[in-house]
Amino acid sequence: MKVLVVAVVLFVAQALLVAAIAAIRRHSNIYGTIILVSVATTPLVFMLGSLIVREPLSMEGRVYLALLHLSLGGYLFHFMTLPDRSVTLRIFVELWLAPNGTLSLEALGARYGVRTMIGSRLQQLEEGRFLSIGPDGGLTLLPRGQWFGRFVTSGRRLFNITSAN
Amino acid sequence: MIRLLLPAIGVVSFFVVSLATVRILRPRDPKRYFLGYALLLLVATAVVYRALWPLETLEDVLGLLSGLLLQLLACLTMWNAFYSLLWGFSGSLMYDLFNDESLRDRERLIKSYAGDGAVDRILARRLPSLVRGGWIERRDQTLQLRPKGLLMALGTLAAFKVFSLGMGGGVK
Repeated sequence: MKVLVVAVVLFVAQALLVAAIAAIRRHSNIYGTIILVSVATTPLVFMLGSLIVREPLSMEGRVYLALLHLSLGGYLFHFMTLPDRSVTLRIFVELWLAPNGTLSLEALGARYGVRTMIGSRLQQLEEGRFLSIGPDGGLTLLPRGQWFGRFVTSGRRLFNITSAN
Repeated sequence: MIRLLLPAIGVVSFFVVSLATVRILRPRDPKRYFLGYALLLLVATAVVYRALWPLETLEDVLGLLSGLLLQLLACLTMWNAFYSLLWGFSGSLMYDLFNDESLRDRERLIKSYAGDGAVDRILARRLPSLVRGGWIERRDQTLQLRPKGLLMALGTLAAFKVFSLGMGGGVK
C-alpha cells in the first residue's frame, strides 16, 4: 500500500511540474517538457529515495524507485497523446462547446473538418522536415518523409493493414 | 537487478505473440488481443516474481511494482507505436503521399479525404463506432453527446486547461 501511495505522489508531482512549465512556456512542446521533467527529476528521486519512502533503501531499492518514477513519466507521456492528438476527443469537445450541445455534420466540419486537420498536420510535417509545401500547394517529400513513407508502407504490409484513417 | 529480467522477458513475449497474432490470425480488431496479452503477461510476471522473491521487504514490493510498470509501459509503447505510426493520421498522410504521386498537392489531398458524401473519410471511420458505443447520438444529420461522451469531453477540456494544450485534436 505504501509503495502505491508513493507511486501516486510521484506521478502527481511530475504532472504538476509539467503543468506549471507548460503554463509558463506556452509554446513549448508538451512531450519535450514531460521527458525533461521525468529525466531531470529521476536522479533526485534516486538520491532522496530513503526520504521519499521514509525507510532506509539499499542501492538496488533506490534504482527500483528511480525506474518507477521514470516509467510514470512514460505513462504521463502516453496519457498526453489523448487530449493532444485524438480526433475523437476533439469531436467530443466541439459537441460540448456547441450551442445546445448539438451540431450538424456540416457545422462540425466547419469547426473541425478535414481542411483544418490536414492543413495543420501538413504544417507540422513541414516543420518536422518531412515534406515541403510549395507556394502553389505542391507537396514534396523530403528524405525524412521518404523514409517515413517507406516505413509506414512496409509496416502496413507486414501487419496486413489494408485501410487506415 | 536480475529481477528486471522478468519484465524484459514479458516485453519480448508480448512483441512475439502480438506479431504472430497479426500475421497469422489477422484479426479485425487487434486491440483486444494486445490488451489480453499485456494483462496475461503482467499476471505471469507477478506470479513468477512472487515465487522467486517473496514480498518480505519494501524493496521487494518496489522491485515488483517498478517491473510491472516498466513491462506495461513497454507494451503500451509498442501498441501505441503500432496504432499511431501505421494507422494514425500523420502515418496515413505520409503513406498516401509516398504511394500516390497525384496526391502530392494540398487541395487534391484534402479532396481525397473530404470525399463526395456528407461525411468525410476521417469522420466516416469513427462515427459508426461512436454511435454504436453510446458516446454520441446521431439524428439524421445532427450529433449530440451522450452522458459517456460528455464525461470524456469534460475530462479532455480539463486536460486542455491544466496542460495548456490549446484545442488538441492534433491541431496547432
